[in-house]
Amino acid sequence: MDITSLFAQFLSGLTYGTILFLVAAGLSLIFGVMNILNFAHAALWLMGAYFSYTFWSWMQGYSFAFWLSIPLAGLAAAAVGWVMEVVLIKRIYKRELYEQLLITYCIALILSDTIKLTWGVTNKLIVRPEIIQKPVFIFGAPLDSYFLFVIASGAAVAIGLWWFLKYTRYGHIVKAAVYSREMVGALGIPIPRIDTWVFTLGIFLAGFAGGIQAPIGSITLGMDTAIIIQAFCVVVIGGFGSLLGTLVGSLIVGEVMSFTILFWPEGAMVLIFVITAAILIVRPWGLFGTPMRT
Amino acid sequence: MKNKYLFPVILFLLAVALPFIVPEFWVHVLTEILIMGLFAASFNMIFGYMGQLSFGHAAYYGVGAYTTGLLMVKANVPLLVCLPLSMLSAGLCAAVLGYFCVKLRGIYFAILTMAFGQLVYYIIFQWYSFTGGDNGLQGIVPPAFLGKAANPYYFFTLIVVTLGMIALWIISESPFGYTMRAIRDNAERTEFIGINVQRYMHLNFIIAAVFAGLAGALWGPFNRSVAPDLCSWQHSGMPVFMTVMGGPFNFLGPLIGSAIYTLLMAFVTSFTEYWPMVSGIVIIVVVLVMPGGLLGLLRDRLPFLRQNVGRAKETNG
Repeated sequence: MDITSLFAQFLSGLTYGTILFLVAAGLSLIFGVMNILNFAHAALWLMGAYFSYTFWSWMQGYSFAFWLSIPLAGLAAAAVGWVMEVVLIKRIYKRELYEQLLITYCIALILSDTIKLTWGVTNKLIVRPEIIQKPVFIFGAPLDSYFLFVIASGAAVAIGLWWFLKYTRYGHIVKAAVYSREMVGALGIPIPRIDTWVFTLGIFLAGFAGGIQAPIGSITLGMDTAIIIQAFCVVVIGGFGSLLGTLVGSLIVGEVMSFTILFWPEGAMVLIFVITAAILIVRPWGLFGTPMRT
Repeated sequence: MKNKYLFPVILFLLAVALPFIVPEFWVHVLTEILIMGLFAASFNMIFGYMGQLSFGHAAYYGVGAYTTGLLMVKANVPLLVCLPLSMLSAGLCAAVLGYFCVKLRGIYFAILTMAFGQLVYYIIFQWYSFTGGDNGLQGIVPPAFLGKAANPYYFFTLIVVTLGMIALWIISESPFGYTMRAIRDNAERTEFIGINVQRYMHLNFIIAAVFAGLAGALWGPFNRSVAPDLCSWQHSGMPVFMTVMGGPFNFLGPLIGSAIYTLLMAFVTSFTEYWPMVSGIVIIVVVLVMPGGLLGLLRDRLPFLRQNVGRAKETNG
């Protein structure tokens, strides 16, 4: 196998890893702060993809339609997420684990059917602008030019989140809340409001990721059920609540998938779950997480 | 006869009488209720009695289903021989995977069981030459002596499920069952009085998987086929739904939950394809309004439902 095709494989892994990172970043953030494992995350991701399609078709005449519809999809999903938090999720922070999992799982079921009711069962396709229709060549390896944008957006989100957590006041509060909610509350910071905004931010990221995903292939129902479990794997490998961990975890999953497909296509997903299980057994809090309250 | 046996006996008599009254379609639904009820009851050994949430219990159900399916399709082994072998294979699977699961608690337990469940799912899904991959296995038929009608297989299922439920009841009322409750309520203290908590949990995990395997084995001949979806994480969610609907802190809760869920599904799917949405709304309401499930709600009013298991879990984690 020559170096160019290996590099091409690396690039495809990087792309897939970036997509996973965009989905998993919000998941990890929400779990880190509120201890809620959000089953509905991928459903909102898929909803983001459909929102992006709708905005794109509304603005089809304009050259910026394609690019603008992606952040708009994030905002629309965030609005749904905000409603979800205020109406339902708020009630279950103090409930038992199984109740939290069931509620978010049921929300996922409801959202999936809502998507079906709203957008129908036919696949949706966003036509890309001319500038990103041809592949680019990096060291001789072909890469879909849209993937450059995907990777750049992933990097931008990673840097943006890192900056937010490191340099802003709200970022500091969020980081402190990952460590101890009680202490943050005791300092007079309104935890319920922080919860709402962290949740909304997490869902914004999911919707934004959906918008990014939309032009890659056609948008189909049921895309969310496979990716939610992979996003869980990413978060488990990297460590709940750790941004760096989520980044590393998604790159590991993306590259492992990409390279296993070369040598042992049937085993790609199996290997991902073996790695996830191994991490859980040896280091339940993940590569970059900190041992947490259970 | 003591009061606490009254309710199960009424249920059993009802189960015997119903197929003679209702049309054939509903006999199929009843069969499904029984199979899923045993599956949910086996899940509740881990959830209600051990206090851990397994989100990968369908793996053992699926292993049981595939053991029977493969043996019947490829080797023509009679169903009565397949049932114990399915229990054995599911148990062996759980002996290996459960060993790791019981080292973890809470959310980590839930995710590890889910990861293992998906592992089993993808192995079955990808192993075309052996399992038929996503095509599944077709042509699994009930044994000839049961004929082709719905009723005989229903009664066969009723006998097997009843025996399974009695076995689970005996286990849950044994000293072992009370040790599990102690572990659920306070694992640390249980360890202090000299009980090897992990070993007990591992054993309980295996027991739960064995009966999930039995339920799975019944599914193949009932549905005439098995598919990898039986192991998927969505299918692992079903016993959770059923148990929460019926009441996790009551032995018969999961079975009642299976009846509610399956009947509701049969009813709702007859006029809309949006069953997931309906089930989602119903379960959210159940969780928010009656956390003890239906039996939990009735418990205080109907004294014959009151059992030791019925005591609400007070300690958390």
